[in-house]
Amino acid sequence: MNGQNKRARKGTSAGPAALLDRVLALASPYNSSLLLLMVFLVVIIVGLFVIRDLHATNVEAQKMYAGYVQGLQRIGELQYEVQETRRSTFYALTTNDSNLQLEYADQSREADRLVNEGISQYLRQARIPQEIEVGRRLQLDWSGYLGVRNEVLASILEGSTKEAVNLDLKGGVPSFERVRQDLQEIKRLYDEQASQQLANVAATSRRTIFRLIGVLGITLALASASVWAIQRSKMLGAIQLAKLQMGFVASVSHELRTSLAVISSAADNIADGLVGGKDQLKSYGSAIQNQCRQITELVNQILLFASTKEGKNRYTLRPLQVSRIIDAVLDNTAELVRGAGFVIERRIESGLPCVMGDLSALSQCLQNLIVNAVKYSGESRWIGIHAFVHDSEERSSKEIRITVQDRGMGIDRLEMLHIFEPFYRGAAVTAAQIHGTGLGLSLAKSIAEAMGGTLSVVSELAVGSRFTLHLPIVEKQESEMASVTSKPDPSIRT
Amino acid sequence: MRRLAGLRFILVSAVFSIAALCSGFAPNARSLPEPQIASEQNLAVVVNLSNPVQNLSMPELRRIFLGGRSHWPNGRRITLVMIEPGQPERAVVLGEICQMHETDFNNHFLHGVFTGEVLVSPKTLATPVGIRKFVFNVPGAIGYLRVSDLDPSVRAIRIDERGPEDKGYRLHVPPRSSK
Repeated sequence: MNGQNKRARKGTSAGPAALLDRVLALASPYNSSLLLLMVFLVVIIVGLFVIRDLHATNVEAQKMYAGYVQGLQRIGELQYEVQETRRSTFYALTTNDSNLQLEYADQSREADRLVNEGISQYLRQARIPQEIEVGRRLQLDWSGYLGVRNEVLASILEGSTKEAVNLDLKGGVPSFERVRQDLQEIKRLYDEQASQQLANVAATSRRTIFRLIGVLGITLALASASVWAIQRSKMLGAIQLAKLQMGFVASVSHELRTSLAVISSAADNIADGLVGGKDQLKSYGSAIQNQCRQITELVNQILLFASTKEGKNRYTLRPLQVSRIIDAVLDNTAELVRGAGFVIERRIESGLPCVMGDLSALSQCLQNLIVNAVKYSGESRWIGIHAFVHDSEERSSKEIRITVQDRGMGIDRLEMLHIFEPFYRGAAVTAAQIHGTGLGLSLAKSIAEAMGGTLSVVSELAVGSRFTLHLPIVEKQESEMASVTSKPDPSIRT
Repeated sequence: MRRLAGLRFILVSAVFSIAALCSGFAPNARSLPEPQIASEQNLAVVVNLSNPVQNLSMPELRRIFLGGRSHWPNGRRITLVMIEPGQPERAVVLGEICQMHETDFNNHFLHGVFTGEVLVSPKTLATPVGIRKFVFNVPGAIGYLRVSDLDPSVRAIRIDERGPEDKGYRLHVPPRSSK
């Protein structure tokens, strides 16, 4: 017991590890939900990162395609039409047929129209100063070449082939060379931009890979941490259970040994003839009876718990008067309450409807609550039992509530989560050396749920606790109870 | 006698009536309008848009069409373009401007080229569209087109200060057959 106290104290003051264990212990009932939530969040985060990076890469690739591939295509078309303009002019030189020469002239003019459109489009899309400059230069040089081309065409159509050739050699060749150089310059600019965009795409891809690696690393770390936390939580749970079971065995053994010691010494005294007189013998018999009753109750509790866990309990549900249940409980615990010097304040609303339940089981449930109130009331010697009708918080109907209230030591807020677990005993209770098996509340809760109800608790340290048994009303009577008003019947019984 | 007097009156009245009628219609008969010719049926003489010449007299035009003049005032060489023989436009030009028949026109150029009197022989094209394109492409070109074949790529010049749309313009071409 002292060791447990030490461990308990250590647990509250041993730094981050203990704090983590405490958090894990608190979170252990929600392991699956937490894991699912964490995995869900991680998957969403990873998905968002991946989608964003893929989108960025896609946009970069599209920009590259639009800026480079289409740009190169336009340059290629421009170069072709430039060549076509000159080529068609030369074709006109190869014939003396004026009609054919005119067709070639038309072809040349159509090609030069496309070139002019291409240059205008390039200028419209030009962004950087070099592009604008080279675009304007190309426009100027192309106009210069077209002037020469027109003269050449005119000479060809006039029939002056020699003059046409001379004009072309003198003005056409150099001006066309300037156009060709301008186109090369444009292509070089496109190449530079494409290289830049390619570098951007590569950088984005690298960044994406690094991010993915980072995100996957974080995911792995989170998953590992989750698995570790769950395993540790389970381990802590198992250790805790083992401790509780050991404590339970020790407690039961202690209870049995104490009672057996009393019975044994009483029997020894009687056997040794040390007990004389009828009154003394009666007193010894009464003591042996009490101890036997305690042992029987203890064994019954254990058996009841075992049968509850194995699902062997078969309750017989029938309509019960609430007052009858409470009276049965008070009868069963009268000796204990009287012996401990307690006052019980019993308040039952008049006209309460029946509840559906098993009398023996409900008596056991409330009896456990009263025994606990006796155990943990400390200096206070008051227990309140109150039965009334109230709106149900879980159903859209009314329910019967039976509260067992004390003004004792109260329960720590963190321990409230565990008091209904089997074998659990609070640190303060253990420290106060209050004996018990840790099965009473667990059994009470199981019984309440088996009756279709619930068991709740409200408690404050050094103020007291109030356990409430919520039981459904028998359906036939619900409508009748709608008009029931709260009229307390303050019958006090000691 | 009375019968003769009545007959004489009728005859005299008829004579006067006829005389009066004749005197009343005579001025109208003298001012009858010339037959109306739609301007679309006129033949325009066209030059390149860059050609500064706006007007030519009929003798100057005849000289140009017969190869007697080789350059425009801006120094550009004159290139004469004509449609193929057999077309009504060519017949009008030969008749109204050159005042020759087809054979005389051909002989004139054969002789002129041979003797060196004619430096430029005319270019012959198959269609009015070809003529228009030729004039558009060659700065010193001169040709002819129906007014209905004109477009902004070429410019029609005035002849004796009259444009193709003006009254008194002399080059008329018969309408194209519907075939």
